[in-house]
Amino acid sequence: MNPISSLRDLKQINIDYYTAAHTARQNGKFIAYVNAFTPVELLYAMDFIPIYPENHAVILGARRLSEEVAPAAEKLGYSMDLCSYARCDLGSILTGKSPTFGLPKPDLLLVSNSQCSTLTKWFEVLSRMYGAPMVLIDVPHSGNGEKDPQAELYVRGQLEELQGILEHITGRKLEGDRLRESIRLSRQASELWTRILLCGSQRPSPITVFDQFIAMAPIVAQRGTQVAVQFYQRLLEELEERVIRGVGALSNERFRLFWDNLPIWPELRRLSEFLDQRGAALVTSLYTWAWATLSVGEEDPFQDWAEQYLYTANLHLQRRIQTYVEYARQYELDGFLYHSNRSCKMVSQDIPELRRAVAEKTGIPGVILEADHNDPRLYSIESIESQIQSFLEMLDSRKRKAG
Amino acid sequence: MIMDPWRPFLEVMRDPLQWARSWKHMTGGKVIGHLLPDVPEEMIHAAGALPLALEGAAVSVSQAQASLPAYTCSHAMGLMEMGLTGQLDFLDGLVIPYVCDTTRNLYHTWSHRFPETRHEFLRLPKRLRHPGARVYLRNELERFGRYLGNITGCFPTAERLSSSLDLYRKSRSRLEEAYSMHRKNPSVWTWERVHMLMASAMKTPREEHLSWMQELPWEGDKDEKSQRPVPVYVRGKIWDPPEITKMLDELGLVVVGDETVCGYRSIASHYQEGDPLDSIVNRLISLPLYPGYHDEPRGVVENFLDRVKQSGARGVIFLNPKFCEAAGFDLPDLQRGLEKEEIPSLVLETSTRGVSLAQIQVRLEAFGEMIGEDLL
Ligand code: SF4
Ligand code: SF4
Repeated sequence: MNPISSLRDLKQINIDYYTAAHTARQNGKFIAYVNAFTPVELLYAMDFIPIYPENHAVILGARRLSEEVAPAAEKLGYSMDLCSYARCDLGSILTGKSPTFGLPKPDLLLVSNSQCSTLTKWFEVLSRMYGAPMVLIDVPHSGNGEKDPQAELYVRGQLEELQGILEHITGRKLEGDRLRESIRLSRQASELWTRILLCGSQRPSPITVFDQFIAMAPIVAQRGTQVAVQFYQRLLEELEERVIRGVGALSNERFRLFWDNLPIWPELRRLSEFLDQRGAALVTSLYTWAWATLSVGEEDPFQDWAEQYLYTANLHLQRRIQTYVEYARQYELDGFLYHSNRSCKMVSQDIPELRRAVAEKTGIPGVILEADHNDPRLYSIESIESQIQSFLEMLDSRKRKAG
Repeated sequence: MIMDPWRPFLEVMRDPLQWARSWKHMTGGKVIGHLLPDVPEEMIHAAGALPLALEGAAVSVSQAQASLPAYTCSHAMGLMEMGLTGQLDFLDGLVIPYVCDTTRNLYHTWSHRFPETRHEFLRLPKRLRHPGARVYLRNELERFGRYLGNITGCFPTAERLSSSLDLYRKSRSRLEEAYSMHRKNPSVWTWERVHMLMASAMKTPREEHLSWMQELPWEGDKDEKSQRPVPVYVRGKIWDPPEITKMLDELGLVVVGDETVCGYRSIASHYQEGDPLDSIVNRLISLPLYPGYHDEPRGVVENFLDRVKQSGARGVIFLNPKFCEAAGFDLPDLQRGLEKEEIPSLVLETSTRGVSLAQIQVRLEAFGEMIGEDLL
């Protein structure tokens, strides 16, 4: 394995981010809990620090704390069938266990349901818990992505209303210049992130999806700030240099694989080493690409956000099939690892059909791994590894046959 | 020979798909299936087709797990199973509403498996109390009307809708009467029967259903035989497994309020006068919200508690569908709210797959005894 040195900066970035969040009030800032498809640029321009309870749950999962916190939520009646991000985050609030010293109390809970419906319900629980106001940006699911002018009006109306709510909470008016600046920075970060992801198409790939999972925190939480732009500039420079020198993330890249769905956070290191030892590079994924497409223009950002949530963030089977077929070509893939993630029904329920269709269209096989993104009690890492092992053996014999 | 007035309903419910298939064969009419909740049946009726409510519950699954993961609720899994086993091949259309991520994925998986069927996704807004949602929903229903008209050749015009609404108004108020008969006379108007009336109304031509209902023993005496009934309130989606309805009767638990999609939610709330499409929109908005919708979070709990208290129930039974995120997230706060009000509750995680009826029976029995104690 050839570690990427700029990823080391993330530790300080994270510390600064959570410190700023915890000291928000002293510095005249406000806290909004958000999810992926919300207008964070607007929040930054209005002195809000956007906080992602999902990210907090990732930290809990990656540090293998899920089993210590989630049972507290389950004891309260939250079933183990519910998304483990939510169970871990709620359990952390209840137990007080958190590597980030918890999350500061929110002034607002802002969620858009184009990501999933679970977050709406999870945030409703948080809203009752904290007595904080909640705003749902309701994004009707536009079927197969066809234009829906009525939905655009509906979503845009809610976003415009949000501006008034933010102004009411802060007692400040939105300044156009500040919004334009955060949009500009967000777009820059998004463009850099896109170029980083495209590096994965090089042979050997200078970055794996595991690195991308680790590197994605700023594009998620700090889109619209200088911090994200600077971090991704450094990372991209390092990757481009690797490409010129022919340095891969793995010393011996034999297989190029796609990772579908969210990571299995508690097993990130273990799986990364397991695949590395077998020369299997995860070169691209669905999850990390989601943030490459989130930039908006300065001219009419409200319309852009509305269209983005309605059409770009609109994940569905047909679209996924087309995208994966395209990735197979672009990234010269040998196989697909599909994480059937029992916590995230939104991204997992169409996997059986997806795998069948992609294999039919590309001839590239895939294996379905039954797991959970944050709860080790719900999968067996040994059986996942043995499934991957057999899959790689099969790929190997295909390669041999193909000469 | 005097015909048993409950028989027509029993016949429908014995095998609703077969019943609808034969109806289609005999009449040459069109049948449009829909997954619950909140697909406006009145519109399908106004477009000249038979609206057939489909419940995935009680379907034993053998093929669907190749298309949907095992952690899918039985409502969605059951629909897929019915599709894969050819039980729905007589439908002229199929409507899947946007209720949650599961129905969203189900729609796309269905489209992929059955590209030749005429299926539609009803894009229900989730922030129903927002003024923008009202405008959006009305437009969406207009779009839905065009889908229906294209299948049947008969568009649900304002005039046709008005007359369908008249019929549904009559039918629903009759069903509300039946609902209150269950309270008054639970040994004749058992919950199993009342539920059968409500469920079959969503599977048969409404005119016929209404005329069958006229024959029921509305004038019967007040119940003398049964012991003192124990009033309960039920929250859940569908009666899954369906045997629960009968168990309640046997245990003397009387449903005085429910929020299931083929229960009170399917008959509640009358239409206002005026534009028929606006009336349908208003009805949907004024119903107690299904967990898949969003409402002001504290109101979700407070309004629920109010409904329970108003019903006079001594306890609440939650029929929580397994793998349902929407219901699962609401549950703990609702239970805590009930505890504060000293109203006991019982959670049954329901699903056709893997539940033991005997165990449900035991738990219901214990619950009934506990909440009924000081009534004896
Ligand atoms: S269900 Fe999926 S998308 Fe939704 S919060 Fe959980 S992991 Fe995120
Ligand atoms: S709301 Fe719950 S029960 Fe209904 S389809 Fe969705 S997951 Fe299933």
